[in-house]
Amino acid sequence: MKTSNLLSVSFVGAALILGATGCQHGPQWLTAVPHQSYPQPPPQAETTNNNPSRGVAIVPQQENTSTGLPFDTNHNQWTDVLASGVEDRDTLKNDAVYFDFDSATIKKSEDKKLEEVAKFLQANPNDALRVEGNCDERGTEKYNLALGERRALQVREYLHNLGVDSRQVATLTFGAAKPVDPGHNEAAWKKNRRGDMVVLIPKK
Amino acid sequence: MKIKQISNIVPVLLCGWCLAAPAQDSIIQITRDASKVIPISITGVGGEVESVLKFDLSVMGMEVTAPEKADYLISGVENGRLEGRLKQAGGNADIFARAYSGGSLRSQAHSFADDIARTILDTAPIFHSKIAFCREADGSTEICVADFDGNNQVEMTRDGSLVATPAWAPGGRTLFYTSWRNGATQILEHDVTSGARRVFAAFGGANFNPVVSPDGGRVAMILSKGGTPSLYVCDRSGGGLRQLSFGRDEASSPTWSPDGREICYVVRSGRATLRRISSQGGEPGEVRTGGVFGNVTSPDWSPDGKKIIFTSGSGNFTLCVVPAEGGNAESLVDGEDPCWAPNSRTVIFTRRANHNKVLSLLDVPTKHVKDITQISGSCSQPAWAR
Repeated sequence: MKTSNLLSVSFVGAALILGATGCQHGPQWLTAVPHQSYPQPPPQAETTNNNPSRGVAIVPQQENTSTGLPFDTNHNQWTDVLASGVEDRDTLKNDAVYFDFDSATIKKSEDKKLEEVAKFLQANPNDALRVEGNCDERGTEKYNLALGERRALQVREYLHNLGVDSRQVATLTFGAAKPVDPGHNEAAWKKNRRGDMVVLIPKK
Repeated sequence: MKIKQISNIVPVLLCGWCLAAPAQDSIIQITRDASKVIPISITGVGGEVESVLKFDLSVMGMEVTAPEKADYLISGVENGRLEGRLKQAGGNADIFARAYSGGSLRSQAHSFADDIARTILDTAPIFHSKIAFCREADGSTEICVADFDGNNQVEMTRDGSLVATPAWAPGGRTLFYTSWRNGATQILEHDVTSGARRVFAAFGGANFNPVVSPDGGRVAMILSKGGTPSLYVCDRSGGGLRQLSFGRDEASSPTWSPDGREICYVVRSGRATLRRISSQGGEPGEVRTGGVFGNVTSPDWSPDGKKIIFTSGSGNFTLCVVPAEGGNAESLVDGEDPCWAPNSRTVIFTRRANHNKVLSLLDVPTKHVKDITQISGSCSQPAWAR
């Protein structure tokens, strides 16, 4: 009884498959090849949600903030310059900080540079800073995205501890996608494990 | 006469196909060492059909040899449509004989290969499935979609910036990925049939590595808005955001269990190791990867739920597989960023060759590796639609 039910279902199923895949013209016993519709390249039309700077409309929940120094989600004096300021990659170029392999710890040797960066931000309160975290190529790409972000966050926290308003500093991870030296040896890798300091200046 | 013979056989198989246990499975009763390459022969076909059959069956751990050395004899006739037969060596009768119509010849050959793989290995069909990946050129990366063998490539993005971590929603019509086009990381949702995109997540800090739950209802991702890259989950609509991982050790690389109840991810505390956590939140548990001493990263949970494949090492990467509940890891081949095919047997991964990144296919039981040479340029982060 059960078997005959299954069989009749399967015959209907077979008929549906044949019908759906456009094989009506061939003899019924032909095995239908799935009809593939290939994805088309995108037109550039896009829809963005109402509040792009904040992402999708999400109801914030009570969160444990012990994970680090959180980002302020309220609009503040640096929101606009962080989103659309003019990039200045030169002014603090020599203050890029470097990291040990697979580490996000700020080394003693980098203290002086970060003190300079803190002074600059305090002397230029209308400007903002984007710390770009980078990695060498010896991590998998997904892992390096997290490690690069952790490096940038460590710099942000360090600056915060020096008295910089954390709202003045954004982070951006590139993983290993932006090496300064494309080489495949330690000399190159040590240059690539870095946090770049990009000053953002308000548009006039 | 020949056609008549085929027509006698196929209707039976066709209805068997729709049952849970295909009827033809009972025909073959060979106990085989699963790690052994299966010798096959292919006769009667040439050109595209032959090359498709060779590629597909090689991906399944089979090797083409002379008919007298083969365990299975595959033959075909191109006759406006493809008529295919599978025989066991020494056997008189066909295991199956079937004609394929509709679609391209290439597509018919893939269907024939799917039937052969299903009959011999009892695996789910994969030869019509799609992959997405990142292609690097001139300092930018774009998302591409292609057939699993690299044919029919389509560039999905043309932003001229960076993209990473493409992931399919179930059904293969929507991609989620990380984009840098606005000078910050954002998670985008991209309908590959219409090209329409929308910003899915753009919080303060980093937004990356989205992965859609197997039922399509939720998205897991890494956000650093709380001060550390942490694991979050929200509804497919974007609502109901919930933080799952806490503490100062950064989380990365989430992957869903096939029942959607759990997420496996990487935590870096000293070294990178695997955790499993309820997708509703709770205490994470460690997934033991015995025998691996370096970093354990980029896990992917198999669609049958039984195992997790991951990358071990730093710089010299090796693919390893471990039971989903943890245990001793088995080392497979050199490579990184593995992703299971829907059959829980084949894996696509990235192989570094002369500092270029090549997409490659691995047959896990036989450890047989096949590069996807149809895809040129430096490519990485493959995601198999499933």
